[in-house]
Amino acid sequence: MIKDKIKTGTPGLDEMLDGGLIPGRTYIVSGASGTGKTTLAMQFLLEGAMHGERVLYIALDEPPNEVRKNMMNLGWDLATIQVFDATPDVMSYDKTPVRDVSTERAVTYFKELPDKIRITSDRSPADISINTVQEMLKQEMKVRKYTRVVVDSLTSLRYFYIKTSEENASMISFFRLLSDLGVTTLATVQLPEIAKPDVEAHMARGEIRLQRWLDGRGLMRGVTIEKYRGSCHDSQLRSMKITADGIVVKLSTTEKTVTEKEDEDRSKDAGQSRQPDRTGPQAQPVAVPQTPTPPALPSPSSIEQKVAKPV
Amino acid sequence: MLNGGLIPGRPYVISGTTGAGKTTLAIQFLQQGVRQAERALLVAVDEPPSEIRENVRSLGWDVGKIRILDVHPSAKAFNKRVSLVEVAAQRSVGSLREAGPNAKTEAMKQASPEISIQSLQLMLKQELQESRYSRLVIDSLTSLKKLSQNMEDTNNSIMSLLRFVSESNVTGLVITDLPDPTVLEPEIFLCRGEIRLHKRMVGNRAERCVTVEKFRGSDHDLLPRPVTITDSGISIDAKRKISKASLKMLQAFTQFSR
Repeated sequence: MIKDKIKTGTPGLDEMLDGGLIPGRTYIVSGASGTGKTTLAMQFLLEGAMHGERVLYIALDEPPNEVRKNMMNLGWDLATIQVFDATPDVMSYDKTPVRDVSTERAVTYFKELPDKIRITSDRSPADISINTVQEMLKQEMKVRKYTRVVVDSLTSLRYFYIKTSEENASMISFFRLLSDLGVTTLATVQLPEIAKPDVEAHMARGEIRLQRWLDGRGLMRGVTIEKYRGSCHDSQLRSMKITADGIVVKLSTTEKTVTEKEDEDRSKDAGQSRQPDRTGPQAQPVAVPQTPTPPALPSPSSIEQKVAKPV
Repeated sequence: MLNGGLIPGRPYVISGTTGAGKTTLAIQFLQQGVRQAERALLVAVDEPPSEIRENVRSLGWDVGKIRILDVHPSAKAFNKRVSLVEVAAQRSVGSLREAGPNAKTEAMKQASPEISIQSLQLMLKQELQESRYSRLVIDSLTSLKKLSQNMEDTNNSIMSLLRFVSESNVTGLVITDLPDPTVLEPEIFLCRGEIRLHKRMVGNRAERCVTVEKFRGSDHDLLPRPVTITDSGISIDAKRKISKASLKMLQAFTQFSR
C-alpha cells in the first residue's frame, strides 16, 4: 500500500479506496445526470480546504454562482475554495472581436463571486477552448501551488471546448498536462444511461462511478470503483446516500436484502460466484432494513453480475 | 416532488415519450405564471400556435395571456432563402388569443425563413429586450435541433441558448423527446434538472408516471409517482406509489449506466 494517500472527504469512500487517492494523479468521477458528481467533487475540495490546502474548482458547465448556492443548501462554506469561471459566453452570431479568456478572467474565491450569473459582454464575447483552459492552468500553477483541482465537467470540455476534429488527441494532451503539473485532479464525466467506454476512462488513473437505478424502494444510489491503478480497492457496489450533509457511502453491502437465494442461483447460472470482498472493511453483517420488495426484481441480480465481472 | 418547486432563473428539461403530456405540463407551468401576473412566453416549434390554442381550450383554460413566439416552420419555398438576421425581424410575438386559424402572415408566405437554434436565440434576444419574462417554454428542442442544419455546431448552440436563458434570469422549461439512452444529449447535462414523463402500456392500458431524474441544489422525490390527465389538466399524486406492474415496466427501461 502506498503511504500518504489523500482523503476524498466522502465518508466511506476512502475505505473503498483503501485509504484514499494517490496524490498527483488524475481521477474521474463518472455517472449519469443527477447522480451527485459535482457534490462528490466539492467534498473532495472541501476536505483539502479544511486542512489549509490550496484548492481550485474549474467550472465548465454550471455557472459557479449556482454551484455556490446549491452547496449552501448543504451548509458548506466554500469561501476558501478558489474558482475559475470558464463557462462559455452566449454566442453572438455576428462578427465581433473575440478575446482570449485566459487574459480576461481570473481565478477568484467562491466568496467573491457575485450572486447573479455573469452576463456576456455585448461587445466582445470571450473564446474558450481546451487550449485556453490549459494555458490558464499552467499560469495558475506557477503562481500558486494547488494540491487539489476539480474539473467540472470533462464532458463539457469535450462537447463545447474542442473545436478541432481531434477530440481524443486533445483530451489525452489535457490529461498529460494534468499529470505533468503533479496535482491531484478529480474530473467529472457525465455518462449517458447506457455508456460505452471513452478515452477519458482510459487515461484516468482511476474511476469512481456513481450509479443510480430503480428499485421497489424507489431510486437507489450506489458507488463502484471501476478502476484504480496502483492500489487495491473495494470491488463491491456500495450504497450511497445524498443527505443533508452531502454524500455518504454505506459500507454494508447493498443488495443482499433482495432474496439472496435467487441471486446466488442466478450467478451460478451465469457460471460465476460472487467475488469475496477483498478489502471489505470488516464486512459487517447486512444491516439494511428488510423493506417489502417484490421478489423477482431484474436489476439487483444484474448488478451483482456486473460487479462480479471486472471490466 | 420538487420539494417546493423549481429554483428560479435556471433552465430545466422535461423529457418523455410522445403523448406523455410534456406540452400540457409546460403550458400549466406558464399558466401558473400568468395567474401570478408574471409574463410567460411559449416558443412553439412543433405545433402551430393555433392548434395549441385549440388543444388547450378543450381543457377549459384561458390561455389568452400567455405570449407565444411562433417558430413553426412554414412550408418551404424553394427559392432563395433570407438570411438569419432577417428572421428576427419577421417573426414576432403574439398572445395566444390572437393566434388565428391562419397564423401565417403574408410576409411569411413570401419568405420562408430558416429556423435554427441560432435564429431562435436572436429572436429571443430581441423579445427579451423589449419585455421582461419570468417563465419560458421551448416546445420542443428536439424539433429545433432537427431543423438546425449545420449539425457541427449544434452542441455549442444549445449551450449558448441555455446560457442566454439563464443570463436573462428566466426560468426555462425545455421540452425534449425521451433521449436515446446510449447518446448523451448536451441539454440533458446542461440543464439544472430533468423531469421525465413516462407512458407505458401495462396490460392493455396506458399508465402514466413521472420521475425527477435530476435536480441540482435541492432535495427531491426519489420515487416515480402516478400521473393522471383529466379535463382540468395534469395532476400528480405525490403520495401514492405507482402500481407494481408499471414499476416493473419502468425498471426494464432504466438500466445501469454501463
